[in-house]
Amino acid sequence: MRWVDVKEGFKEFLEEFKREKTGIAGVLLLILLVLVALTAPYTTIPDLPDKWRSSAYWEDNPKNVPPTWYNMFTSQKLVPQVAYYSDELSITHPSNTEILIEAPYSFSKGYYLGPQGIIIRNINVTLNTPSEAPTYSLYLERPDGKTVPLVNNKPLTSSTTIAVGRDAAISANIYVWLVNVTEGKELDPLQAQMDPIVIMNINTLVSAAFAKVEPGMKAEDVVNNPEPLWGDYKLVLKIDNPAPDQNKVIIDDIKITFLGRSYGTMGTDYLGRDLWAGIIWGSRVSLVIGILVSVLSTLIGLVYGVTSAYLGGNADEFMMRINEIFASIPSLPILILIGATVGHVTLMFIVLLLVIFGWMGIARIARSMALQIKEQTYIEAARALGAGNGRIIFKHILPQLLPYAFAVIALSVPGAVIAEASLSFLGIGDPTAVTWGQILNAAQAQAATTKGYWWWVLPPGLGIAVVGLTFVLIGTALDKILNPRLRKL
Amino acid sequence: MGYLKYLVFRILNAILVLLIVTFIISALFVKVAEQSNLAKMNDEMMQWDRTTGQNILRTQGQDAYEKAKAEHEQFLREKYELNLPYWQKVYNKAIRTLRLDFGTTTTPIFGTNNVSDIIKVAVPRSILLFTTATIIVIILGIFLGVRAARHAGSAFDRGLSIFALITYSLPMWWTGMMFLLIFAFKLGWFPLSSMFDPQLTGWEHVKDVIYKLALPVLTYVFVVFGGWAWTTRNIMIGTLQEDFIMAARAKGVPEHKIIYGHALRAAAPPIVTMIIFALLGSLGGAIISELVFNYPGMGRLYWVALQQNETNLLIGLTYFFTVLYLAGVVLADMVYGFLDPRVKVGASAKM
Repeated sequence: MRWVDVKEGFKEFLEEFKREKTGIAGVLLLILLVLVALTAPYTTIPDLPDKWRSSAYWEDNPKNVPPTWYNMFTSQKLVPQVAYYSDELSITHPSNTEILIEAPYSFSKGYYLGPQGIIIRNINVTLNTPSEAPTYSLYLERPDGKTVPLVNNKPLTSSTTIAVGRDAAISANIYVWLVNVTEGKELDPLQAQMDPIVIMNINTLVSAAFAKVEPGMKAEDVVNNPEPLWGDYKLVLKIDNPAPDQNKVIIDDIKITFLGRSYGTMGTDYLGRDLWAGIIWGSRVSLVIGILVSVLSTLIGLVYGVTSAYLGGNADEFMMRINEIFASIPSLPILILIGATVGHVTLMFIVLLLVIFGWMGIARIARSMALQIKEQTYIEAARALGAGNGRIIFKHILPQLLPYAFAVIALSVPGAVIAEASLSFLGIGDPTAVTWGQILNAAQAQAATTKGYWWWVLPPGLGIAVVGLTFVLIGTALDKILNPRLRKL
Repeated sequence: MGYLKYLVFRILNAILVLLIVTFIISALFVKVAEQSNLAKMNDEMMQWDRTTGQNILRTQGQDAYEKAKAEHEQFLREKYELNLPYWQKVYNKAIRTLRLDFGTTTTPIFGTNNVSDIIKVAVPRSILLFTTATIIVIILGIFLGVRAARHAGSAFDRGLSIFALITYSLPMWWTGMMFLLIFAFKLGWFPLSSMFDPQLTGWEHVKDVIYKLALPVLTYVFVVFGGWAWTTRNIMIGTLQEDFIMAARAKGVPEHKIIYGHALRAAAPPIVTMIIFALLGSLGGAIISELVFNYPGMGRLYWVALQQNETNLLIGLTYFFTVLYLAGVVLADMVYGFLDPRVKVGASAKM
């Protein structure tokens, strides 16, 4: 083939491809997908795969909540996440030894429940005189004029993270306050911690602090069925530092998060991980595995099939037997077995496995096509001129099959993507990567479907479907143009 | 004779594959079992040392103790097959597997420890699920495919093609998860778990099974029938353009007789092979789909075995998957050779 012919042929092909609407749609989708995959570190969180498995990294996120836009479709609106950093907070020093940090929170009308919890972190303390260590108190001022004491005079250290809604002592304090207002009783906070109601509701007692509470109500009813009290709240963190010259309290990095009951673009999973970031990063693995597996297995299949056809006779018979043996091995059970036995699986190992079990069909078709080409006169001419086997296979037969190869590559991408996702879904995947299959695996393990966490299940599968559809569209268009006669269907 | 020879050849081929796969499974698992067996042996050795060993040491002295210890170790090595070289063990395991002697599991499943019995419970359930689903798919697929081919280019035809392309890219198990969310969680039409109720018998049991089967079958049909209809359509469009159809039309044969009598019969061989390969292909999807639906068939069992590290059960199940798969392959070859004389001539001509 001469270079001019290639250029001419390519031009012709482009002209024809432009007329295939489905092909154009596929190419546009592919460009979009590649852009999403390439820009993942910039559009979401950089080096997400490192952070994905560290549950500490996701502690400031609510757990198992739907995306924020879901509010548009439900009558019971879910509050979004709100975070304050030091420059957005009002920080005052009423006296030399006191620091007051105030965070406003507006609980807008129409929302169903208040925040899932409140997390305060990143307070730095340098302690030189331990006997006069700083202490802190935390309370919530409500729009109805009542104040909920959350923490009373506890010692403050650098490792202090205040987690309203996750800390049993704080939940007990809310309950003590609740019982005091409603039933007028004074409970002992330490004993309240042992109360079954508190133990059962550590995570949900926060909603009582954001609910209508009047004398005469029953505390248990408020806990079980809180009625939202809308308006402007203020969270006050009071730090007492009796020896400000010796012990320093640095609050430059302080972060106060009101955990939402909805989060971001795609919600969160059971560890509070941002599913949107996971989905975006997952596209990388999907595309790379899908393309790599289909390209490799197509190339291997082509070379194998053509070689087999060209050699003919016993060699052909032998090679086809091997092909049949591979083809009759049920691949998924064996893949699962190998994955489970090997232990640590890397992405490249998965690619290798999928290629080993994926080249056979192409080899058989390539062989049947090569058997026809082989009989043509120019091959005979080449042989008469003294061309070697390798030269004839690679120079004369393979190039004729290349157009067919492109369609096959595109059409086998969905299978490879689904296969990788299936393995990850079963827990046999690269543990250091973030993939759609693994997100679905976690969803299955946490019984997301039976709890109705649709935002956790829907997007990864849609991702797989979109990647699949992209390549099917391109593949069928290519197939129509390049192989009008060879089309098998 | 050509057909019989061809058949024997295919069966021999399948047996060869079965042997190879059995050796692969054995090689994999002997490696895993080696470590756990060594740990088990050391445990038992220590146990022996604390009780019997110390006793011998006190009553009969050092020499007798050393001798008894060596003897007991030898006994344990034989018990756990640690005295044999690796390949000998692989060979033994493979032979036992081929004889359907899979051994036992550590914890009982379906009320028994015997791997063969466990598999005997699970296999019919999986087959029930996929046979039902595949029959529905075949009927729907062929009917809709033929309809689309008759009205090629119509809105129905184009709609079907798009539907087929989309469902081709869907993982079956994910669709299952979505169906669970929609039909079981949100609408409550189907159960969230397809685990059978063991208390029911007779007609109640049948009703329970049908109710639990409904959603998995629906999922399977939904994902698979589009591709089926599309392929049938493509084959039929090709056949409808052939000369003998033209001739039949010219003779004035009624249209539905042309379609179902002439064209579909001519298109049968590829469609029948498709049926069998669809069944085979569903095996892989089945493993995960059953897990998603909590359906108590082979697929879910496979996963349970994987989670609980029941190597004997894993070997047994993989062996069974392979046998089922190969039986399907042979069946496909058989039917294909029967329907399309060119195949057996081609293959037997080479022999």
